[in-house]
Amino acid sequence: MKRKLISIALVFVLCFSLAACGSKKDNKDTSVDANKENTQTPTKEPEATKAESEAANDETPDYSMTLDQIELGKYTDITATIKFATHRTDLVDNGRFAEYVAEFNKVYPNIKVEYEGITDYKETMDIRLTQKDWGTMCMIPTSIDKVDLGTYFEPIGSYDVLKDIYNFCDDKAFDNVVYGLSSTGNAQGIVYNKKVFEAAGITSLPKTPDEFLDCLQKIKDTGAAEDPYYSNYKDDWAISQWNAHIGGSTNGDPEYYNNILPYQKNPFGPTDDFTGAYSAYYLIYNIAARGLCEEDPVTTDWEGCKGRINRGEIGVMAMGSWAVTQFQQADSNPQDIGYMPFPLTINGKQYASAGADYCYGININADEVTKFAAKIYTKWLVEQSNFSYNEGGIPILKTGAYPEVLNAFSGVEFIVNNPAAAGEEDTFNAINAESEMNINVDGKKAQYVFWEGFKASKGESAKTLEELMAEFNEAWSDAQASLGIEVKY
Amino acid sequence: MDNVKSNQKRIHPIRFLKSRKGQRASIIILFLLVPMTLLITFTYLPFEKMIEFSFYKMKYLGRRTPVGFKNYIDVFKREDCFRALYLSLYYMGASLIQLVLALYFATILSFKVKGGKFFKGAIFFPYLICGIAVGFIFKFFFTRGFVLDTVLQAVGFDLDSLPRWLSDTRINNISLAATSVWRYMGQNMVLFIGAIMSVDSEMYEAAELDGASKWQEFKYIILPSIRTVVLLNLILSISGSLSAFEPSYVITGGTAETATYFVTMHVLAHNTKKVGLASAMAIVLMGIIILVTVAQKLIFHFIFDNDSDISKGTRKRMNRYLKKQEGGNTYE
Repeated sequence: MKRKLISIALVFVLCFSLAACGSKKDNKDTSVDANKENTQTPTKEPEATKAESEAANDETPDYSMTLDQIELGKYTDITATIKFATHRTDLVDNGRFAEYVAEFNKVYPNIKVEYEGITDYKETMDIRLTQKDWGTMCMIPTSIDKVDLGTYFEPIGSYDVLKDIYNFCDDKAFDNVVYGLSSTGNAQGIVYNKKVFEAAGITSLPKTPDEFLDCLQKIKDTGAAEDPYYSNYKDDWAISQWNAHIGGSTNGDPEYYNNILPYQKNPFGPTDDFTGAYSAYYLIYNIAARGLCEEDPVTTDWEGCKGRINRGEIGVMAMGSWAVTQFQQADSNPQDIGYMPFPLTINGKQYASAGADYCYGININADEVTKFAAKIYTKWLVEQSNFSYNEGGIPILKTGAYPEVLNAFSGVEFIVNNPAAAGEEDTFNAINAESEMNINVDGKKAQYVFWEGFKASKGESAKTLEELMAEFNEAWSDAQASLGIEVKY
Repeated sequence: MDNVKSNQKRIHPIRFLKSRKGQRASIIILFLLVPMTLLITFTYLPFEKMIEFSFYKMKYLGRRTPVGFKNYIDVFKREDCFRALYLSLYYMGASLIQLVLALYFATILSFKVKGGKFFKGAIFFPYLICGIAVGFIFKFFFTRGFVLDTVLQAVGFDLDSLPRWLSDTRINNISLAATSVWRYMGQNMVLFIGAIMSVDSEMYEAAELDGASKWQEFKYIILPSIRTVVLLNLILSISGSLSAFEPSYVITGGTAETATYFVTMHVLAHNTKKVGLASAMAIVLMGIIILVTVAQKLIFHFIFDNDSDISKGTRKRMNRYLKKQEGGNTYE
């Protein structure tokens, strides 16, 4: 009997807790509706009227101003709360974002910014964005197609105007409207330990693939580092960093990646001057084949290698500039971490692939004042926060300062891939998937090339680099044929 | 009977529901409704969709073009698909070792052993850890200079003479298969123990009186009594080794020639987004698993006769023996 009573009680508790969940949700929904009504009928909007009355002596700003029209330091009476969803949980946890906000509040004391760090950012945001009240600002997820940007995000200006002020504008632009500016710009290069290079007697940075391999050989011969090169072979994403050089660093042509490569016959070479993807694969293969990498590449450990390169146990790693600060902070020798451009000289000049990082987006469903405040914050972040400088990235403001890390890149031209010609936007992705080359999708092909090289270094039967390139060329040609892509180059 | 029939003739829906038969029917239907709905929505409908997908060239989003049997032809033509199946041999070999070990431990632990419960728990425990965690454990276990190397060095091996457990292609698939032995042996063992428990203990006593050795007890009493469970475990582990995924995916990421059929399929479906081809691969694999299972059943049918408690071979030998002894009176 007692047991029966308990179970009945439990059932009731469960029912009520469910009911409670339901009603809570209802409350939320109605509040969203209320918000919506507010935005539709601005006369009812309490915040707007408050802001207006407070800013009586100041002129009332036009909330639909674009980013280029906004002047920082004005409209300081704006009162709003910005809820900011970010993928940088590290900067939320260590309080760096709070410092930025404190700095911002010196000028705009009434704009509150609340950061929320989300691990698993991509998946979480994809789901959250389907709701209208996901927050005020976020880092625009890369999964959103350009066509759909306008349904979720507030336009912040026209591309024609903004492109002269900011770098990487086109990353989140569609139809001449910009929906978000990048938080920082990533340059693609190669991380090295300066002390190791010194100890190996290397005085100047390598400028060709063979010079680069010689450097690694010197490190190995002198024993300056345990592993001259650390491949991170096992981690698909890590070895795929080589992919990022294709187009920019390896060709020095902004048109190459989207407008030439898909239409090229035998793009994987071998080429005599090392241009094209061949140079990346040449390096991967030979690093492995000459035994310049770690001895046990299948048990690589990403977290562990950050500290090892910092301590000089690893000489070189190919990584985007975003990794530099992580390597610097991994142990006690941040000054030893250096960053150099991809070792390839095309007609006497070096190039580096560059691109936008996550971009700031503003919720189109937020009310006008909050959206305006978010625009101010975006402009402040991009122009005055020094965020990209602190992160070791390329500045977003064209006149911004380059961080010290990129010093070795002086004289190196940054190449941002131009978008594909109109009507051909899908061509690259189509051929990339059909041929299974998966450039910048995964690192399987880089792993494959590495592994054949590794086997060759052990004296086992392995494919030569030429055979591998022929295989890739064939896959590319087959894909062009089956997709009906015209071979133009 | 007549009475029942006449009742059924002027059947009334509400009275039918109130009757014993009606209540039984309604309860069966109501209780089945939930699992059947779940089963159909989450198993049969997706499966039917997958068959449909396998005849298309398609990504997750975007246009779909029907291509007939091209995907299936590709599965058989591609190098990577069937080379990956060949890796299953490692896992099959491992699963046989695993069954033998499980049977061994189960037999020992079914009798009174000191600390028997502890060992049962210890051997079964790995099965409770999720596959991803097992992967991470073994990733570090096999890393150069970590657990395995340290232990082997402690017993006198030289580090330089030890292979690199995951990078050396001669041994890395064996290393991976060993992790699945570690993980699933306990589960097999528990199933075996359950079956062995159901053997009548008087049989052992009788056997002991007749002077049977422990090995003979195992061979003539235990093994024949639990052969259904042995067969079940064998089928489960063979089909499991054909669809091995976690060790390869988590520990080596499918690198260094350890990509099993499932890992290859996963890469095709999610990185390359060739959903049609991956679906065809899945269906080919299912066909292979069905074939293997049927083959196993047939083979077992020949080894063991399903109608008797004693295997065919044993019975023949007993009959021969009885013939010699008594002349004619055979054991059926």
